Amino acid sequence: MSTDDTVSRTDETARQTEDGDVPLAEGVDHQIAMVMDLNKCIGCQTCTIACKTNWTESGGREYMYWNNVETKPGAGYPRDWEELGGGWDEDGQSRTPGELPEKEEYGRAWEFNHEAIMYEGSDEPLRPMENADWGPNWDEDEGAGEYPNSYYFYLPRICNHCTHPSCVEACPRSAIYKREEDGIVLVDQDRCRGYRYCVEGCPYKKVFYNAQTKTSEKCIFCYPRIEGEGPEGEVRPPSCAEDCPPQLRHVGFLDDEEGPIHKLVNEYEVALRLHPEYRTEPNVYYIPPYAPPQTSESGETVDANRIPRNYLEELFGPAVESALNTITREREKAERGEESELMEILSTVNNDDQYRLEVFDDDG
Amino acid sequence: MTADAGRGDADRSDAEAGGGLGSRELAAAAAIALAVVLATAAFPMLVDARAAYEIPVERQAGAGDLAEPTGDAWESVETVSVPLSSSGAAVPGGSDATVDSAGVAAARTDERLYLRLSWDDGTANTSTDSLRAFADAAAVQLPVSTEKQPPIAMGSADDRVNVWYWNGADGTESLLAGGAGSTTRLPESAVEATATHTGDRWAVVFSRSLASDRANVTDVDDGEDVNAAFAVWEGSNDERSGQKAASEWYYLSLGPDDGGAPYETVLWAIAGAAVVFTTLVTVEGVRRTRGE
Repeated sequence: MSTDDTVSRTDETARQTEDGDVPLAEGVDHQIAMVMDLNKCIGCQTCTIACKTNWTESGGREYMYWNNVETKPGAGYPRDWEELGGGWDEDGQSRTPGELPEKEEYGRAWEFNHEAIMYEGSDEPLRPMENADWGPNWDEDEGAGEYPNSYYFYLPRICNHCTHPSCVEACPRSAIYKREEDGIVLVDQDRCRGYRYCVEGCPYKKVFYNAQTKTSEKCIFCYPRIEGEGPEGEVRPPSCAEDCPPQLRHVGFLDDEEGPIHKLVNEYEVALRLHPEYRTEPNVYYIPPYAPPQTSESGETVDANRIPRNYLEELFGPAVESALNTITREREKAERGEESELMEILSTVNNDDQYRLEVFDDDG
Repeated sequence: MTADAGRGDADRSDAEAGGGLGSRELAAAAAIALAVVLATAAFPMLVDARAAYEIPVERQAGAGDLAEPTGDAWESVETVSVPLSSSGAAVPGGSDATVDSAGVAAARTDERLYLRLSWDDGTANTSTDSLRAFADAAAVQLPVSTEKQPPIAMGSADDRVNVWYWNGADGTESLLAGGAGSTTRLPESAVEATATHTGDRWAVVFSRSLASDRANVTDVDDGEDVNAAFAVWEGSNDERSGQKAASEWYYLSLGPDDGGAPYETVLWAIAGAAVVFTTLVTVEGVRRTRGE
């Protein structure tokens, strides 16, 4: 199925090869993928907590959020991660240098005065005991723009399990690798020697250094769950997806041509990569966000985009324009009572349609 | 002819006997010959005590305080200054190593080999406890098969290397590698290391029993010289992996005669005798030409 040789890596719009196959990374049988509909995200952080309680509660992982939800526009997590480099240069062949974030940019795990308040009768307000001046979501809901046309939206982020991962390329020991069966990017904890080239090399800053184990760690796409080793021995989507109250995520295989991921990404081209200019070819895709139109001082609706299109282009590349146009067109069809497969996919409440994880189980 | 038997007579009689060497000349020639032979025998020790790329290994009766980088036992051991340069490995900063030389000293007892590396470093970086902290480190690379000289950059699949590795945060490891990127930690390392940072300088003593019967671990007890290479990482420059200051291959002089190669002394003695002989012939030739 892998057909890298028939598609130009430099063509960001090349989603399918000429014979219809979906381009996958070399040596990968199928590619797991996720589509997140940003129009549904309410910023509740349930995904963040689901991930944290599963994987990063302790043992040097306290500062890690393999899944985080950040407010955009905003500095994100770690702070200003979009300015730290990494990824590939224009020809997609040479990595661009990246930086290691400062610990402070992730935010510290603050100590609170629980003891004093709960057990010692203090009537102080509950608060961090040390100076707290930055942390994940410090700038939550701030966004940008001027009243009454301020705007923001939430951006959930996990490892993108990229097709052309610069973290994998960065490791001189091949300790971080893309596994054959589904393209999940994993750090072999026995091979890793804590060099942190992957942390530098990932432009999304989704590889984390564990200072206790002296190795790097990252989102594992809940692979035990998708392998059926999760609760009740059933195949389940990653926790971040399953626990999401508004169920904004689709999970499946990019090359499952009957599945919703393939349709959203390759057929309708409404699910877009975050920062495609980093050229790592992420396999987490986003339905770009709509917002109510702008309003005038007097509260009248104005025919102008509240979230500036050029800002969305900064995040999702030039394809955002046609993606939003397609969604608008399909939504109008649905409003007219016509059939819209796209709207059905995006508005399904059937988990079997959202999560298609067993389609290739018979591959042997 | 005795010494007291009137030297003048003797001289005369020798001269009369056909212009041969007198006893005075003979004595002088003998003294010169002796001096030349001694000098030439001593010459290699004075001038060429150490071959290029040799790390002399001093044999000591007991371990004493050899395991201590500042131990008195090291005072008598010669330290070789080994130039280091960036490895040029294909990692970010692969050509940006800081340390440009290390002092290497080696000693052995009947059981153990001690290697002492020391290098200038004004900052002791001994933590990897935060994301941007890298520790100072040092390593000794030995071929798994002592008769070989593997590719300098971590050996190759066919010519593997052992690495004795120390860093300021995590202590010592014994590693096996068969090419860049293949470094693998060996369980139950027999390598011990002690490090001190005094003034602006690190000193690390690695030690291990000479013999090893483990697969993929260098056995250095066979009375043969053993190749060795050295590397140092400067933590404050974020050096790790292939971003390191590394040496060329040197060799630990563990061969049959630790005092130097015996054939060299023999050759120098023959050369000295030849010089004396040539001198005598020349002197005699001159005398005869003058008709004495």
